[in-house]
Amino acid sequence: MSRPIRHLLPLALVALAVAGCGTSSNHSMRLALAALETPTPTPAASAASKPVSCKNLTASLRPPATIPVPSTMPQGSFMRAIQRRGYLIAGVSAGALDLGYLNPATGQIEGFEIELVRELARAIFGNPTGHYRLLALSVPQRIPFVNAGKVDIVVDAVTITCARKQQVDFSTVYYDAHQRVLVLSSSHATSVRDLAGQPVCAAAGSSSIDVMKKLPDPPKPVGLPLGADCMAALQQGTVAAISTDDSILLGFKAQDPNTRLIGRSLADVPYGMAISKAHPEFVRFVNGVLANLRADGTWRRLYDKWLGHIRGSNPRLPPARYDG
Amino acid sequence: MEAAGIAAAPRTPRRRRARAGSALEWVRERLTTTPGRLVLTSIVVVVGAACFGIIATGAEQSRERAVSTGRTATEPLLANAVNLYAALSDANATVATGLLGVGGLEPQAARNRYLQDLDRATGALAALTRGVGTASAQSSLGAIADRLPLYSGLIETARANSRQGFPVGAAYLRQAATMLNQTILRAANRVYAIEAGRLNDDYRTGTSSATLVALGAAIALGLVPLLLAQPYVTRVSHRVVNVPMVVATVVLAGVSVWALIALTGEQNSLAAAQRDGSDVVEVRSAADVLLSRAQGDLSLTLVNRGTDVRDPLDFAAVLRVLTTGELAPRLNAGFASYWTAAKRVQGLEGGGQLEAAIRQLPAVAAVSERLDRDLREQITVAQDRFDHAAADAATALDGLWLAIPLAAVLAAVLALLGLRQRINEYR
Repeated sequence: MSRPIRHLLPLALVALAVAGCGTSSNHSMRLALAALETPTPTPAASAASKPVSCKNLTASLRPPATIPVPSTMPQGSFMRAIQRRGYLIAGVSAGALDLGYLNPATGQIEGFEIELVRELARAIFGNPTGHYRLLALSVPQRIPFVNAGKVDIVVDAVTITCARKQQVDFSTVYYDAHQRVLVLSSSHATSVRDLAGQPVCAAAGSSSIDVMKKLPDPPKPVGLPLGADCMAALQQGTVAAISTDDSILLGFKAQDPNTRLIGRSLADVPYGMAISKAHPEFVRFVNGVLANLRADGTWRRLYDKWLGHIRGSNPRLPPARYDG
Repeated sequence: MEAAGIAAAPRTPRRRRARAGSALEWVRERLTTTPGRLVLTSIVVVVGAACFGIIATGAEQSRERAVSTGRTATEPLLANAVNLYAALSDANATVATGLLGVGGLEPQAARNRYLQDLDRATGALAALTRGVGTASAQSSLGAIADRLPLYSGLIETARANSRQGFPVGAAYLRQAATMLNQTILRAANRVYAIEAGRLNDDYRTGTSSATLVALGAAIALGLVPLLLAQPYVTRVSHRVVNVPMVVATVVLAGVSVWALIALTGEQNSLAAAQRDGSDVVEVRSAADVLLSRAQGDLSLTLVNRGTDVRDPLDFAAVLRVLTTGELAPRLNAGFASYWTAAKRVQGLEGGGQLEAAIRQLPAVAAVSERLDRDLREQITVAQDRFDHAAADAATALDGLWLAIPLAAVLAAVLALLGLRQRINEYR
């Protein structure tokens, strides 16, 4: 009885040893699947700022009696530091057609706001060419970058608000934008009232949405991540209209002639150049340059060059107001 | 069901017990005489041989089926799923990078590559739709087929707008990328996971130790009665060898050794097919897909011109997986140079130097393309290794399906012959 079992024992052992070696493992499969399922992180929602009220929202620091001659900025001033560095650093937008946008045809950022930066560089150096650098900032970067000194000034469609005025100084208003409504040419709507209950798009979390909500017969606000997403949605017919700053709407209109601006201004949206509170002399200098641009017709010439040719634009020289 | 119940009803426990009792009676009767014991021995030997035949054939068949489905059905589907996934990812990265071409014109090479990717994807999609069996994989493929034309439509709209220098082109590109990432690639991932899981099941069955244990048990059931019967027959018949029984033992033992060697060989080849073949295909493809995703994120960040917060975050997440994750040690050094270059571009963008970042992007795209080419070469090599090793696994089992039952029948017949000679001596 025991003999045959003894014969079989080695066989069984071999079988077991063999069974152990060539086995499969699903480690690689799990590794690959886990890597492929890497989730996209959700951007942190920006904290809603508390509503702050202030007097004389658009008032800024009075310019000096005489603006320094180019290349001879006063000792100790911030302009002198810029002059010594050799170039002005401005934070701008790269995605707003005709205001500040990266033209793919030239590989350069250009637009109305960029021309204003050039004029500032001209006032400091006498000749703008080669004396300014542009940083394309995202919306959340605008205020922190100027306060950290990474840019000297932000000219990036920054709306002057009381909350922002606590963080940075603003120049006088260089562009008086108005919240308006853009529809397809085929639309029968003549004002925002005709759009009551219909989907109207604006950048998610923007003040344009709040303005819409407060209207007497409000449309249904639709928030998309970026303004340009609204433009695509309008073209695709998923929204009836876009309501945001006319400066942006004019840029959209330039991209699609089958659209038109309707109705009157829903809200006043003043744009100012943001400058660190550490450099009041620079704020005064910039206001002086802006006053000259208004007075000598440069402002209107630049406006006409970039935005004035679009039908429906409503150029109004923004008034300069001072309080200190 | 009901009919069976009715049929079973008359079989009362008493009658069953009576029948069992009479069988025991019969065995007890046989045990009292030598010829009776020889009859019982022949029954046990035949039953043992039959068990060997049935269990060993079952074990062999389970392995053979696993190898054959893995080789000819599951793995080709997985290869197609991988192809679909990688082609769509590459298409998206290519088009996003191409639309940033200086002068607003997409380079012709980028356009060709995008079209090739779409072609590769639709080919894989058609093959998967023909071959995939499960309903959930079918519905995922349906979702891809529904949205792929919409995706390419959005891409063409993005292209037309970008050609005119319109920033709305970026919005269409973003919409296309979102649709691809959130619906199309998710569906591709589901199909891929299903097929990878099925192939893994084939590997488990094809290399299962339980099969070898079953084979061992079958061999024991076949050989032990034969080996035990022979000393007994020798004792009662006073003859040294019973030739038919010895031949039966040799036949059974021979086929047993063959089966053990064959199953072991098959198992090792299949394990090699997984280790050097499909595992490499899966890991490299995952790296390829993630590389495309990173390159797409990087390009979209630049396309969106500083207004995008989601894509840089996704880029960082993918970067983490590929540089510090478990996958990292399995990737080659080329990845390090890609990340360095890509992070430099992202740093330029983050610092607002968009124009400089866009100028550097083609160089980064070139590194990404080189890595993609390397990965695809490695995938082709691994696929070849899989094909060879899986073919070896199938060859290892050749002929066994016939040899096992033949050996079982032959051993039973020979043992019966040998025992019958002895039983007849008592008549």
